[in-house]
Amino acid sequence: MSGYRFDRLKILVVDDNVHMRKLVVTILQAFGVIQIFEAESGERAWAILREFNPDVVVLDWEMEGLSGLDVVKMIRTDPQTPNPFVPVIMLTGHTHIDRVRQARDAGINEFIAKPVSVKTMMSRLMSVIENPRPFVRTKSYFGPCRRRRGNPEYRGPERRAEKAAQAAE
Amino acid sequence: MSRQQPIELFMPPNMLKAKVGGTHAGLDMAAINRAESAMEALKGEFATWAQDDVRRLVTARDAFAADPDKTTRAGLLRAAHDMKGQAATFNYPLIARVAGSLSHLIHDLPEDAPLALGLVDAHVNAIHVIYRDKVMDLSNRTALALAQELEARVAETLGA
Repeated sequence: MSGYRFDRLKILVVDDNVHMRKLVVTILQAFGVIQIFEAESGERAWAILREFNPDVVVLDWEMEGLSGLDVVKMIRTDPQTPNPFVPVIMLTGHTHIDRVRQARDAGINEFIAKPVSVKTMMSRLMSVIENPRPFVRTKSYFGPCRRRRGNPEYRGPERRAEKAAQAAE
Repeated sequence: MSRQQPIELFMPPNMLKAKVGGTHAGLDMAAINRAESAMEALKGEFATWAQDDVRRLVTARDAFAADPDKTTRAGLLRAAHDMKGQAATFNYPLIARVAGSLSHLIHDLPEDAPLALGLVDAHVNAIHVIYRDKVMDLSNRTALALAQELEARVAETLGA
């Protein structure tokens, strides 16, 4: 028993397919989430984001108009974004490594490849709560650190931290 | 010569953790069981989901056949891609496989290469048949052979 108060969360679910949206909403409700916003397009998602400032976004990739990647880039870098750090969990049928990299490079926090499973959804949600990634700002990227999150057993050099220190000097 | 690029690395405050509280004590099995029961109930409720998606795929195919341009091709890719994700979630693994083969074909074919309608139709018809016969497992030999044949044709097309 984790004792998480999921009832305190506001989650935005974005998918152009009504069945998939309903499935994700049902899973989140069973976890105890009460405030769930639904968007059937990237445009609608952006409007809801600006109005309600959700705590987590579950986002489909392929949508007509603004795609999931467009939305996540807007979340991270648009001057009108309500929260550039909001965790984004991308839910997609794409499984090829190039696509995973593309999503990571747009600034997502977690990736779920369809088919959707309850355990994966819970594990990704717990991951954004318990193991948030540090953020990185470079000339060409702003978003969660794209390297694998820190392993407490790792004893090797902290190259990125060293680079950051050098850059700060 | 190494690239020099300023990097700013920082940890934003964990507002999410502050909001939900709790402790990291592994997966909450009670919540997982509740969600799995809800998902099972939903699968029954979604008996018609595949019908909607097959209809959407056929509409996208018809639009592409009538006017094979960049837009209709993208619409066909989206319909096939969505079906791949949905079918796997709602217990139609063979539809997911055939839809995956179709989206692989459309996605990986160079934009200036013509997309053969015959091969598109072979996929759409296969999806029709698998749905009509309600093939929900991977042991149906005919459906499996059909999926394998389509994948081979796609590999051949992309390799050519």
